[in-house]
Amino acid sequence: MFVCPEDVCGFQVDSQRALPSPPLRTHKGSSSIAYLYPLMLEEILPDIAESDLETFFQITHTLYGYDFRDYARASVLRRLGTILKKYGLPDMKALNQRLLRQKEFFETFLSEFTIGTTELFRDPSAWIALRKQALPLFMATSQIRIWHAGASTGEEVLSLAILLTEMGLYPRAQIFATDIDQKALQTAPRARYPLRYKRAYQENFQQVLPDVPFSRYAREEGTELVFDPQLLSHVTFLRHNLTSDEPFARFEMILCRNVLIYFTPELQDRVIQKFIRALVPGGILMIGTKESLFWCKEAEKILAPVNNLERIYRRQG
Amino acid sequence: MNARPYLWLIGGSAGSFTPLRQALLQLPYDPDLTLVLCLHRLRQARFQITDAFPRLKHWLLSEPDDKTPIQGGAIYIAPADYHLLIEKEGYFSLSVEEPVHFSRPSIDVTMLSLIQAGWPRAGGILLSGANKDGALGLFKMYQAGYFTAVQDPADAEVPHMPNAALALFIPHRRFLISDLPILLAQKPTS
Repeated sequence: MFVCPEDVCGFQVDSQRALPSPPLRTHKGSSSIAYLYPLMLEEILPDIAESDLETFFQITHTLYGYDFRDYARASVLRRLGTILKKYGLPDMKALNQRLLRQKEFFETFLSEFTIGTTELFRDPSAWIALRKQALPLFMATSQIRIWHAGASTGEEVLSLAILLTEMGLYPRAQIFATDIDQKALQTAPRARYPLRYKRAYQENFQQVLPDVPFSRYAREEGTELVFDPQLLSHVTFLRHNLTSDEPFARFEMILCRNVLIYFTPELQDRVIQKFIRALVPGGILMIGTKESLFWCKEAEKILAPVNNLERIYRRQG
Repeated sequence: MNARPYLWLIGGSAGSFTPLRQALLQLPYDPDLTLVLCLHRLRQARFQITDAFPRLKHWLLSEPDDKTPIQGGAIYIAPADYHLLIEKEGYFSLSVEEPVHFSRPSIDVTMLSLIQAGWPRAGGILLSGANKDGALGLFKMYQAGYFTAVQDPADAEVPHMPNAALALFIPHRRFLISDLPILLAQKPTS
């Protein structure tokens, strides 16, 4: 086993697996790539003409009501490349044709296009900060309305519900969990996940709640990890498009983590302004730990950090 | 009209960290130079890696947030558990989409984004490492006309990553890690 010295990058590799090295240039020309990368040939640099991309934006906007023009371009191109490959489509024109002709394909497409990566208590230190510094602010609040925007498959909804339960706040809480992806919204209310996630989820859980047994909230059932249905008793799942739909209420807290990263600075600005308007005075906003309010001028005046490192803010006045 | 600094995109994993740190110590400050380091790391390793690099005089050392503008005179280190993408507008984007070669950040992903962003002056470097992440990305950089360099596998603590690149193409330069500071200071365009 090789472990990176200083253990700073923490990189570990099983040297038995890493070696021996592949033969050097045993094949010539493009065949050598096929040899080494059987699955990567059509990978990831799709040659997408600007005009085809514009057609794509028009189709998704006018036919389906989703405007992706202000999504960060590098990621859009990667997603489109992945989708072309997965559905065996030769180029962007073919995808556009399919989106035009096969309306039922759009939900599948949208689910692929949207990145739903999440886990229970992803970034434990952020959840520790939420628990210790933000949630105690609501101890005397009679009604805690929470908007979880971009809830994906629901793991962070459960994380939040667990913290609220542990702090005795859950009976007063009402969580609206929204997402753009209908498929994720079908998964989330089940609160069941593949058992292979258990180890990572439990590790995160114990970091955030070291004195609480994981079994209080989750149990194994066959090939699944099943969470206590009580955790979702105050949760409403709704479809909502952050970029076009208005907030549907005012909230004591808004969580939106690792959604803004897919937007351009201009769209980030608009969405954060939307959050500010939807927060009651004193309300809490939590974004992803590598996201920032940098591009939103209004935020500087209205949102004060509760924990700057963990990106938790509070609306002033 | 071109205010974009020269950008070295450096990928590595096992065995690259310590020599890279030593090389950076010898690198003179250059306001027209940006280093982007894409190193495989444990996903829990937050907020430590910038501390682990030596405090270099004048250089801005940063683990960029999403949409951080890319500046000259800066060394950026890809944050753990995110892909680091370069946008043509001149800032970074982060993504949590699936790992590539079991890696997030993935060197391939960052290199391909640089090509698609059309960054005007850049070079790609691949160091010691334990898997083939970065090999395809560097090859594509080569094909797109960027300067490319690969650490000599015999000189690498873990030669798998350089070997994977050399199996695909012949880069402009094969170098010993001791020559890295000179290479970085040259800013070649090809």
